[in-house]
Amino acid sequence: MHTYVSTDHLRFLIHEYLKAPAQIENYEKFEGYDAEAFDMSIDAAEQIGNQHLYPAYRIMDQEKATCENGVVWTHPLLAEGLKAMTEGGWLSSTAPAEMGGSQMPLVLHNTASLIFMGANANIAAYAFLTVGAANLILAYGSDELKALYLPEMYSGRFQGTMALTEPQAGSSLTDITASATPIGDGQYKITGQKIYISGGDHASVDNVVHLMLARVDGAPAGTKGISLFVVPKHRPKGKTASEGWEPNDVITAGIYGKMGQKGYVAAHLMYGENENTIGYLVGEEHRGLSYMFSMMNEARIGTGIMATGCASGAYYASLKYAFERPQGRHPSQKDPNQPQIPIVEHADVRRMLLLQKAVVEGSQALLLEASLWEDIALNDSSDAAKQSHLMLELLTPIIKTFPSEYGTMAVMNGMQVLGGAGYCNDFPLEQYYRDIRVNAIYEGTTGIHGMDLMGRKILMGKGDVLKALSARMQADIEACAKTFPDEANALGASAVALAKTTTKLMGILQKDGPEAYLADASLYLEYFGLVVISWHWLRMANVASEKLANGGKLSKKFYESNILTMQYFIEYELPKTRGLHARLNSDKRVTLDASPELLV
Amino acid sequence: MKILVCISKVPDTTAKISFTDNNTAFNTSGVQFIMNPYDEWYALVRAVELTEDGKGETTVINVGPAANDAIIRKGLAIGADKAVRVDAEPKSTHQVAEEIANYAKDKGFDLILTGKETIDYNGSELGAMVAEMLDQPYVSYATHMEVEGTTASIKRDIEGGVELLEVDLPAVVSAAKGMAEQRIPNMRGIMMAKRKPLETVPASAGAEHVAVKSYELPAAKGSVNLIDAENMDELVRLLHEEAKVI
Ligand SMILES: Cc1cc2nc3c(=O)[nH]c(=O)nc-3n(C[C@H](O)[C@H](O)[C@H](O)COP(=O)(O)OP(=O)(O)OC[C@H]3O[C@@H](n4cnc5c(N)ncnc54)[C@H](O)[C@@H]3O)c2cc1C
Repeated sequence: MHTYVSTDHLRFLIHEYLKAPAQIENYEKFEGYDAEAFDMSIDAAEQIGNQHLYPAYRIMDQEKATCENGVVWTHPLLAEGLKAMTEGGWLSSTAPAEMGGSQMPLVLHNTASLIFMGANANIAAYAFLTVGAANLILAYGSDELKALYLPEMYSGRFQGTMALTEPQAGSSLTDITASATPIGDGQYKITGQKIYISGGDHASVDNVVHLMLARVDGAPAGTKGISLFVVPKHRPKGKTASEGWEPNDVITAGIYGKMGQKGYVAAHLMYGENENTIGYLVGEEHRGLSYMFSMMNEARIGTGIMATGCASGAYYASLKYAFERPQGRHPSQKDPNQPQIPIVEHADVRRMLLLQKAVVEGSQALLLEASLWEDIALNDSSDAAKQSHLMLELLTPIIKTFPSEYGTMAVMNGMQVLGGAGYCNDFPLEQYYRDIRVNAIYEGTTGIHGMDLMGRKILMGKGDVLKALSARMQADIEACAKTFPDEANALGASAVALAKTTTKLMGILQKDGPEAYLADASLYLEYFGLVVISWHWLRMANVASEKLANGGKLSKKFYESNILTMQYFIEYELPKTRGLHARLNSDKRVTLDASPELLV
Repeated sequence: MKILVCISKVPDTTAKISFTDNNTAFNTSGVQFIMNPYDEWYALVRAVELTEDGKGETTVINVGPAANDAIIRKGLAIGADKAVRVDAEPKSTHQVAEEIANYAKDKGFDLILTGKETIDYNGSELGAMVAEMLDQPYVSYATHMEVEGTTASIKRDIEGGVELLEVDLPAVVSAAKGMAEQRIPNMRGIMMAKRKPLETVPASAGAEHVAVKSYELPAAKGSVNLIDAENMDELVRLLHEEAKVI
């Protein structure tokens, strides 16, 4: 039995479901990434997870990060874990060869991330942040910025962060007020505050590099006036790293006491308190938000991975317990002298386990296919590649939200499998439950993603991208109908119902305007997510069934389990769309017209 | 310095063991294979430490079918410079030793390293046989090894203490825990492994002297009988009458 992630399932996705190595083999950048290289990398990632990350998961929660007199303490196991990831080449894995990177395809990098995040997000997330920040510098920074920061970030000596949120600007980044006054030579005096900044400060690194959004003096109001800066905790004394580093007046006001992810610092930072914070412009003025958003697909896949990793850890912990805990007897067994049975013998417990497995493995399929699309989109100019890119854009809100929302529900069920033990801290379920919850909040709340899906994504190309996705789904449903007629029918009906709902909502947009159209965007997002994950499950089971007939890399039990999980998802989760359908197609404007005064 | 490291493919420690062909063959279906940990963690890593940064050259050798190439590549990813696979189905330690000795005899290796045993058959036979066939000295169970010129200084654990040895090279040494720290292959190593040479040589060993007649699994353990803490008399009775330990 696996401990926190099924590498069997990841290998199934890579080799048999997505056939990823074959899909990227013609791209020069990925030369050498054949099936064997994928397997060896997955093995290496699993070893790091097993030896350096997973053993630290509980300890970093019990001995949480603290801040005293502006100095942030993190558990020494964080530094050790990061060292193992750095030495393994995982911080620079996707970076170009000329920067010392391995030019790894994102689909493989993210397969490894699913392992790392499953083992211990409280370590892996720091690395994820540094990679994201480095990617921004790589894409838009000057050669000087690249030379100064990238080697330090790829070698794990500098932590990267994304510093967007301010007290008055969370979901609404339009309202950012941190300011930047030009002082020449691409440098700016920075003032302002940033809150909830993950990895914002800690003692396991020599320096922290904030990729910070601020407004240049006199910039236009709104998102168009926002610029992106590198604002380090220690700035370079001269033009090169060899001249040394000095403090940059970035003050850590404190770290937040959080419900979960207690090893993963979120800091309140103050810039320019002594009028001595210098920021270095990335790219051009006023284009900061568009730079940031160009990296959003990857960042949001990353959040989906974090949530999925956590739900995966919770699933395996509860699965183990379900086989070991004897409790009760079958309903038909009335003899109290008979021994108690393991709780996995109870159908209701199996339901909770299948729910978790379906959410975790369905999310993994979604995330890795999305990663593969990104690889194709970035390395190919064919129409098919453009289509993949648009598909990824369309599905990004689901990629981030389904694992976060359904992952939280899955972990809740994992806790339920353990009963009282799930609520107590002798077992890790209560930690997984606390840790996963934030994923639906940061990197855009579920509400914001619902509005993104409805307000931008499904309208892309006048609805053509959505149509292309529907056509793709339809073709897949038809291809699976012979093997799984009932499930294909069920999904087909839900997809048609979703399309009808979309048309109905478009009518509302025309007739009643955006408030009415967007009022239930979160529900529409959930509906969409259930259909998309069912689509993945049907395709996965179709592959599993083919492998059962003709032989595959994995065991018979693996493929049978895959088909069973598909049946669970279509039978138990997909029907939830009917409730959502009913609500979204109703003309009653309950929440829209509800007066806040009546919320008493 | 030229080092040859013998690496073997073994079932993953969590593999369920069963047999086929009338209990004469190990059932490999559904079994994950790994590099023998003593070969990988200790023999290979120490060899790489002694030869990396231009100080010499490490070659890994495996006797087995093409399916073993994945494990051999792992050896290259960990840091070996080149690899050899003798294309033969391994049937006995003697045959494997003969293949390795035949390959090594005219290659001028200063050291031949093996793990102290494989985790499947636990025979601890290979190193001694290779040494005998090459007429070289043999030290088993080394927990520490330094090389200076043509002498290797070796420590090994003995009952109640540590033994210090010196051996003239060329020699064959089997490596135990302590010889080195496990290395997880890094991405650079994994990608470089693809470009390092992996040579396949034909089998050359002579007749088999040992054949497996059959395998047996240990008898299944009995079930656990839980006795209520209040019921001491019953416990004493069972220990006396059934377990016959008191
Ligand atoms: C632990 C943690 C780590 C974080 N790390 C980072 C980080 O590294 N960098 C960073 O920049 N930020 C970070 N954040 C901030 C995070 O991105 C924000 O908390 C998030 O974007 C939500 O903003 P908010 O907290 O201000 O909530 P609000 O924006 O106040 O939202 C509150 C509620 O109102 C809803 N809402 C808001 N606006 C609308 C609207 N227009 N229509 C409908 N509903 C709306 C939201 O969906 C939500 O349910 C982190 C937060 C946490 C908790």
